[in-house]
Amino acid sequence: MTTTAATPAPASRNWLRDSVIGLMWRSPQGRVGLIILLTMFFLGLFAPLITPYDPSVGAFATNLPPGAGHPLGTTALGQDIFAQLLYGARLTLLIGLASGAISTLIGTTMGLTAAYFGGRIGAVINLITNVVLVVPGLPMLIVVSAFLRGTGVLSIILVIALTGWPWGARVLRSQALTLRERDFVHAATMSGESHVRIVFKEMLPNLAGIIAANFFSTALYAVLSEASLSFLGIGDVSKVTWGTMLYWAQAKQALLQGSWWWVAAPGLGIALLGTAFALLNFGIDEISNPKSGHRTKAPKALDPVDGTPVNGNGALLSITNLNAGYSTPEGNVRAVRDVTLDIAPGEFVGLAGESGCGKSTLAFAATRLLESPGVVFSGQSRLNGKDLLRMNAEELRQIRWKEYSLVFQASMNVLNPVIKIREQVYDAMQAHGVKDAATLDRRARELFELVGIRESYLDAYPHQLSGGMKQRVVIAIALALEPKLVVMDEPTTALDVVVQRQILQEINDVRRRLNISIIFITHDLSLLVEMSDRMAIMYAGEIVELASADDIYMRPKHPYTQKLMTAFPPLSGDRERREGIPGRPPSLSLELSGCPFFDRCSLRIEGKCDTQKPALVQVEVGHQVACFLHSGAVDAGKTLNPDLGVNA
Amino acid sequence: MIYILKRLGLLLFTLWIAATFNFILPRLVPGDPVGAMMARYQGQMTPEAAEALKKAYGLDNLGSPLQEYFHYLVNILHGDFGRSVSHFPSPVSEVIGNAAPWTIGLIGVTTILSFLIGSLLGLFSAWRKGTFIADILPPLALFINAMPYFWFAQLLVYFFALKRDWFPLSGNLDAFVGDAWTPKWIASMLQHALLPGLTIVVTAAGGWLITMRNNVMSVLSEDYLAFARAKGLSEGRILNRYVLKNAMLPSLTAFGMALGFVVGGAILVETVFSYPGLGFYLYTAVNALDYPLMQAIFLMIATSVLVANFIVDLLYAVIDPRVRDGKAR
Repeated sequence: MTTTAATPAPASRNWLRDSVIGLMWRSPQGRVGLIILLTMFFLGLFAPLITPYDPSVGAFATNLPPGAGHPLGTTALGQDIFAQLLYGARLTLLIGLASGAISTLIGTTMGLTAAYFGGRIGAVINLITNVVLVVPGLPMLIVVSAFLRGTGVLSIILVIALTGWPWGARVLRSQALTLRERDFVHAATMSGESHVRIVFKEMLPNLAGIIAANFFSTALYAVLSEASLSFLGIGDVSKVTWGTMLYWAQAKQALLQGSWWWVAAPGLGIALLGTAFALLNFGIDEISNPKSGHRTKAPKALDPVDGTPVNGNGALLSITNLNAGYSTPEGNVRAVRDVTLDIAPGEFVGLAGESGCGKSTLAFAATRLLESPGVVFSGQSRLNGKDLLRMNAEELRQIRWKEYSLVFQASMNVLNPVIKIREQVYDAMQAHGVKDAATLDRRARELFELVGIRESYLDAYPHQLSGGMKQRVVIAIALALEPKLVVMDEPTTALDVVVQRQILQEINDVRRRLNISIIFITHDLSLLVEMSDRMAIMYAGEIVELASADDIYMRPKHPYTQKLMTAFPPLSGDRERREGIPGRPPSLSLELSGCPFFDRCSLRIEGKCDTQKPALVQVEVGHQVACFLHSGAVDAGKTLNPDLGVNA
Repeated sequence: MIYILKRLGLLLFTLWIAATFNFILPRLVPGDPVGAMMARYQGQMTPEAAEALKKAYGLDNLGSPLQEYFHYLVNILHGDFGRSVSHFPSPVSEVIGNAAPWTIGLIGVTTILSFLIGSLLGLFSAWRKGTFIADILPPLALFINAMPYFWFAQLLVYFFALKRDWFPLSGNLDAFVGDAWTPKWIASMLQHALLPGLTIVVTAAGGWLITMRNNVMSVLSEDYLAFARAKGLSEGRILNRYVLKNAMLPSLTAFGMALGFVVGGAILVETVFSYPGLGFYLYTAVNALDYPLMQAIFLMIATSVLVANFIVDLLYAVIDPRVRDGKAR
């Protein structure tokens, strides 16, 4: 297999990218923050080289306005404000960074311990965290510092750190709790690794982003607290920090004297430093926390298509040359490659393939539900002759659910947790013109009966239902307006086998009664063989075989399909050893010049399959396959414009 | 119900911690606090004041620390915080009683205002992400949030009270303004409240903006939102019932906290404007080593924060069905 993609970046560069500094640099906000912070750091470090003056010695005329010799003027005590600002950066930064570091250390330790051990230790730590969290910060600082009066910078750092940690502890705990449930941590626990090792080797690296974000937000808190305390004269006002500069300006009534620059300069410094910390926090959070997301609303419509629409074959849904995928900073991922597929009215079409082969992306792209960073690059998807990919938002809103609906893969979280199920059944109908209360109620009851849930659950909240019941609710909602097409993305994977069968039976009955077309996505092949009229086998973003379920099961033609069929147990017959398919599918960010299955294929033809791409062509009535073993047809290379999918 | 009891338990426990902390702290100061204060006032302190102080600290009967502690707890339960040193012979409770309405009025109103303004802008900034105004808001908010707010207050004073005398420099009312709640009194009150109020609204709104924006962004990436879109619901309905209802929840916690902090006042704003609220008195108490007043205000702030938190927890149970059933949070 040859690729036209750029060679992968060397490991060292990746390491840098993934490190915390990489995290800071990757977002524009973080970059600005880092530049401000470093500038201040070096200004403070090289202060003696930049200014000849001593910041605490009042050697000049008092209250000079900014001008030659004194770029920021002088104080009422005759000190050079510019020199104070430069030297003040040292302690200000030290206090901010040191308090931030200590407080992050405490918060991380507390949060991780609470999450990792849970139980009684967790409960005690939670209690301590909550108590410190609600104790008011500044008054507490003032009172404590009043008792520590005159003890200097170190006690200020400690006091700030000791009041600033609980928020971070809380955030970290909840993140660590979800992490703890992940497979790799379970695996480590099972393999008998020590607690310390699991926490430091397995969990901590995954929390680096959050810890870093937390550090910068506490540093911001520390800088502002120091400014406030110093301004009130608490702490050591003989030391030069931006906070104590504000204190002296106030004490010497700088504003009444008209020396506004004396107040403006250190305050602006603090605000900028604080902004730098906040930007770093913000930037890291945006990148390391997927929840803060980059998703936008309904993806943009494609430009009007050139050429004449190809339709008229009586299909309900007609997908033509669809290219879709994801846009990432590393380049485009082409998860769906030049797919053409027709769905007839009332037809049950199964989409199968290994995970990551583009099944879901295809379904979402074709129904215009692919959310950013997902992108549809080109193609058509015509429902009843109208191209979904070129509708405006309002046209789309109107036909959604009325003409087609979806059952999502993760139905656990598709119901709004804070409103009643009744409202969520109603609003789909209300949005499409059903307004009458009696009709709504009758229809809701009908639907619930249809999927076998008691009516009383209409007035429940989602969390009161089991997973299976939620799934049924979602299916009921999907059928509410009797759409002609329902896309089901692994609708039953999360359910136990008995419930699964029951639901599938119901879906099938409803479909036959109402003549609904169904696109059914799953990697459970035996299920598909049993239910489908036709099946499409996807591999690396392409449909490699398309035929009736019978043909796919009894007479698979593509080597990949053949392998798949032996990898899954048959519906009946003897148990025998199943073999998986060795190797992995190619990365979807690569452009391939040959057959995508080449690497793993035991029947490959060297020199042909790796240089030419087999076209998906009909080799028997109703049986299409893309393989040189069955047809010599070459995909003439519907190559996309080179900026797609290539790591530039 | 169990949820409420748990929260109530935490409230009482935390209150007790705060009170105990308040008891221990003065005792940690090298030497005894009364001695320190006597030294500071260098004979200016009247014998009565010294006596009152000793009494306030339970130093007059010199029981065991444990006895002192229980004596202290009983006293604060009766609302008896002793007499203020800096406002001698006024009882601490009277000083607080005079200051509290000003703080609660000024800081309370502005806290609510800044919460509403900031949250609305945050919602806008997340919902319309990608448009120029929506994208310029977060960095602006970060900067505003990072300003020392007393510094912003000073700039306001300089430009609007010193350079042009549009507003008074300090205080809460003009002298000789007459009876309360007359039009003249109200006008004077508003004029004095405007600059400190503006300081709080502007500087706090930045934080609310960021909080709300983050909440909305995280709701926007939830599966139930994709589902709502797939259902073809109108944007208005999605915004109202799906986004706002979920995004509001975390903001509410923070808002409850902020309401609790109202009693503590924006210490530095009150200080810059010499606005005679609790924050200002806390500051003067610290400077005057008026331990009884300091402790009482601190305890009051802690109490109000805790109670506000408790109320938010109850409210949470009303809004979020999961919390009501003890399944989340």
